Amino acid sequence: MTRALLTLGMVVLSLCREVGGMALLGFYTFVNLLRGRFDAKELVRNLYKMGVVSVPIVSLTALFTGGTMVIQSGIFVQRFQAYGLLGWGTGYAVLREVGPILIGLMFSGRVGANNAADLGSMVVTEQVDGLRALAIEPIPYLIVPRVLAMMLAMFCLLVLGDAVAIGGGMLFGKLLLGVDYASFYASFVDAIKLWDVTVGLLKGTFFALMIALTSCHYGLSVKGGAVGVGQSVNDAVVAAALLIMVSDDIWTMVLR
Amino acid sequence: MIALDGIRKLHLDPVQPPVFDGISLRIAEGETCGLCGPGASGKSLLLKIICGLVRPEHGTVEVAGRDLGLASPDELRSIQSRIGYLFQNNALFDSMTVQENVAFPLRQRLRLGQEALDEQQILARVSESLRGVGLATHAAKMPSQLSGGQRKRVALARAVVARPPLLIYDEPTAGLDPVTTAKIYDLLGTEQKLTKSTTLIVSSDIDALRRFSDRMLMVYRGRLCYDGPSADMDESASPVVRQFVRGELEGPL
Repeated sequence: MTRALLTLGMVVLSLCREVGGMALLGFYTFVNLLRGRFDAKELVRNLYKMGVVSVPIVSLTALFTGGTMVIQSGIFVQRFQAYGLLGWGTGYAVLREVGPILIGLMFSGRVGANNAADLGSMVVTEQVDGLRALAIEPIPYLIVPRVLAMMLAMFCLLVLGDAVAIGGGMLFGKLLLGVDYASFYASFVDAIKLWDVTVGLLKGTFFALMIALTSCHYGLSVKGGAVGVGQSVNDAVVAAALLIMVSDDIWTMVLR
Repeated sequence: MIALDGIRKLHLDPVQPPVFDGISLRIAEGETCGLCGPGASGKSLLLKIICGLVRPEHGTVEVAGRDLGLASPDELRSIQSRIGYLFQNNALFDSMTVQENVAFPLRQRLRLGQEALDEQQILARVSESLRGVGLATHAAKMPSQLSGGQRKRVALARAVVARPPLLIYDEPTAGLDPVTTAKIYDLLGTEQKLTKSTTLIVSSDIDALRRFSDRMLMVYRGRLCYDGPSADMDESASPVVRQFVRGELEGPL
């Protein structure tokens, strides 16, 4: 019983430490961002590294996501002859749910993991101490540009990913179900509202904030050399995935 | 230049005894001090405390007459920008070229208003510094393209490029072959003669360290167990110091 309580206590304390650490990092990032204290050169470098380089993988994911939506809904579309709803169904699912979540998870696996590893390596090779010894604060120099870059990159990637996914849906709809492009497009434009696009973009950008904070927090708290870096990457990806799913539920309830 | 009074720093594991338990020392301007001690005795930590990167739980740290514990963030940054620090792992920034790494302290001092150099003068100073460590032709390379010894020399060039009044070297020759080690110490000596900076150096190469330093300090079990001339270390009254210096197997260590 004592052992169980001790374990429970340690888990709760550890959870509080991680959540508190992320909240504090978020607070300092926000304060520095408001004061305009961040390194613009680092922002541009990270935008390229996190955004531009992610375009091919996000596009490919989005293309097949659109296709999957069509394949999944195809059986019902054919059964009920509801070809006119294909554009709406694909668009609604992609824009509001599947797009932000899948692109978010892909972004977390590629960019979040890389960011945690990058910061973790900087910690174990004393580069972060090196910055501080040169009188440079790590948050404005390292963290704010990364958080901002991830949010901006994710927003742009979502716009691109949504467009590619809808295009993929159109293509697969034509190839697999014989739904012509005009019919798909008309159904999409008639039923999808700007709000649906906005909800998806809001969610995705918030997911990027979660990915940024988890990866920066776990990256900066690395201890124990290369093994510690591996552990921090693992923790960052798991925490980001969990936060994406939990916050998605909350956003979905709030933005119905 | 440096004054530590009653420094106490607790271990991360509360069961372990404190890393430092009342360390006090004074290092005068222009002095060259070697800091040694067995592994995990806290030598690198002491350097980080002096540089204001780590705060002790008790005691005061004064650098250039300013108490780091009472300094505002801006004052602390101002003090830190006057310290050249060569880290044990070099701490070269992976995303920057050799030239950008070496220019970084100068650009930072320029940003803080402590340097009146323009970009051309910064590049000239960087070239001069890289020539000094024999790496003038490597300016455009990334740190990952260099060998261990070359990286150490770049880190040295970066530490001294702004000609700071206080230089801290943490294991400048760790893992290097004897020839490269001799070259590094030669560079450190040249730099010291040129700038007359106060120098604090940690090294496991005890012989080279004693040759280089006027004064030796040794930490053991959280306390300073030797503080005196390098030449007198062999004859220290402490059996710990004698055993450490002579590298004997038998003894209290």
